[in-house]
Amino acid sequence: MNRLGAPLRGVLPFVALVAAWTLVTQTGLVSALFLPPPVDVARTAWELARDGSLWINILASLGRVLLGVAASVPLGVGLGVAVALNRRLAPVVEPIVSFFNALSGIAWLPLAITWFGLGWTSVTFIMFNTIFFLVFFNTLVGVRTVPRIFENAVRTMGGSRRHVIFQVLIPGALPSIVTGLRMSIGFGWRALIAAEMIATSTGLGFLIYNAANFHQSDTILVGILTIGLLWLTTDRLVLQPLERRTIERWGLVSTVEP
Amino acid sequence: MRLLRHRTVGFLLAVALLWGAWEAFIRLSAPGRIDPALAQALGRGPAVNVAVTLGFAPEDFHIRVFQTHGVVSGVRGTTVLLDRVREEDVQRIARYYWVRRIAAR
Amino acid sequence: MTLRWEVVATWLALLAAATAAWGVAAATLPLPDYYLPPPTAVLATLGDLIAKGILPTYVAESLRRILQAAVLGLAVGVPAGLLLGMSRRAAEFFYPLLNFFQSVSGIAWLPLMLVWFGFGERTILIAVNYTVLFPVIFNALLGVRSVPRLYVDALRTLGASRWRIARDVLVPGALPSIVTGMRLGLAYGWRALIAAEMLVGAHGLGFMIFNAQNFHLTARIMLGMGIIGVLWVVLDYFLLRPLEEATIARWGIVQR
Repeated sequence: MNRLGAPLRGVLPFVALVAAWTLVTQTGLVSALFLPPPVDVARTAWELARDGSLWINILASLGRVLLGVAASVPLGVGLGVAVALNRRLAPVVEPIVSFFNALSGIAWLPLAITWFGLGWTSVTFIMFNTIFFLVFFNTLVGVRTVPRIFENAVRTMGGSRRHVIFQVLIPGALPSIVTGLRMSIGFGWRALIAAEMIATSTGLGFLIYNAANFHQSDTILVGILTIGLLWLTTDRLVLQPLERRTIERWGLVSTVEP
Repeated sequence: MRLLRHRTVGFLLAVALLWGAWEAFIRLSAPGRIDPALAQALGRGPAVNVAVTLGFAPEDFHIRVFQTHGVVSGVRGTTVLLDRVREEDVQRIARYYWVRRIAAR
Repeated sequence: MTLRWEVVATWLALLAAATAAWGVAAATLPLPDYYLPPPTAVLATLGDLIAKGILPTYVAESLRRILQAAVLGLAVGVPAGLLLGMSRRAAEFFYPLLNFFQSVSGIAWLPLMLVWFGFGERTILIAVNYTVLFPVIFNALLGVRSVPRLYVDALRTLGASRWRIARDVLVPGALPSIVTGMRLGLAYGWRALIAAEMLVGAHGLGFMIFNAQNFHLTARIMLGMGIIGVLWVVLDYFLLRPLEEATIARWGIVQR
């Protein structure tokens, strides 16, 4: 009974929300132009799905996220470890990376447009910046906070530098790295939507911003729901469990946030 | 809690002091920007036409700012011509530190 | 973050080297002028924009908006989250909703707000306030739920009223989570603000750098970016992080 109860309890609030939404639009409290009733939104969703435009935009957005992750994570982790190993460089690089971290992804957009013009390149550049610096920073901090005792232990047993890196430092930094990954994808997803509104003609951000020009509130709502659902599922089904399992397995070191 | 005593409180105090000093500076230097002839003409009628001289060629930003105070009727080099400016607006314009002079037209 | 002399010295040396490299690159690379303005141009722009009164106004606008969102988040989000958290039923009911609405950042709502309110201040404020509010409510709720029942029961056996329990156990226990929520909300909010200012174009730092791109005033873009980063670092270092550290230091025992 409990296993059936949990997902049911998760769905109930949304059912209530849709019910309230229907009520508000039915009673004419809010005009349908501003807030289309759920049936209209559902119908528009169906149409967009049928003619493929919804899928194209979803794929474009997700593709950019994946591209950003693929480009920045290996580099971020690699550089993070490399810099952390150099004890003199590390405390100096930290504030620099912290500053670039604070420079939010979307703030790079005008410069990116100046350099690369509108389109894929600019948007991916922003994703790269958003994810790279945070992963770099978290890797750096994560490696630096691995207690030296573990490193020394491996060394005493005759371990080489490679052993230390791959069997002590990286696993020890993993909780921090994965937290950084999760946070940066969160920031990146948001920056992506904003960037798509400004700089490209595909993607969910573009879908909803373009729809605003034509006052197509139902399309906007379809887009908003998709954006929310995509992030919710990615975060809850992929990133959070990954983070939790990483902490469970290698959580000797406390997770650090920038 | 002691940490708060140092960093944040000092920061907030510095911000408050700087802001106060700045406001004082603006208010005190404002009358100096109004041309004496204009100063006398103020209060005599509902609105005046003025010429606001800046130290530089005005940008979109400045035009937009002036549009909230009157009707922009032209730009001559570093001077913006503004029509139908009420007295309070003249005072407000005088408070902008980047304005050199306001004169009657 | 203790500042040791060698760290500061190395840092300054690195900064000088980077600036020099930048200057050299700007002078030698075969790119159009507007691609990479030299550091001197950025500094000149700083002086220029301050003299023209543009920069202080834009900075003040952006700060005003984010601080107002912070105040609203604090005044409305914290009590709302606390109240919802105190009732187990309410918490269970609203948790998925809050989770969902937090996943949809304020910027995603911007197009709808444009349809409702057009290109104006209200649209920006709604988007930014929304972005700040939800993480605060969500984390306040989580904070209250995470207080171990042990403490609540202990006070109840001593005969404390609901109000006392809330005041002496639930609120302090939730504080670390609340402050984390504020920090997260403001981080998201600051970014959403810049994006909103770009899209709605009603002055502010986001508008400044976006507008500058149209005129290829790249030095202004770089200056604006630098200021955006510095402002956040200053806000975080002087206001948010001390608050978080102080709260965890005093009441963080409940979280562990």
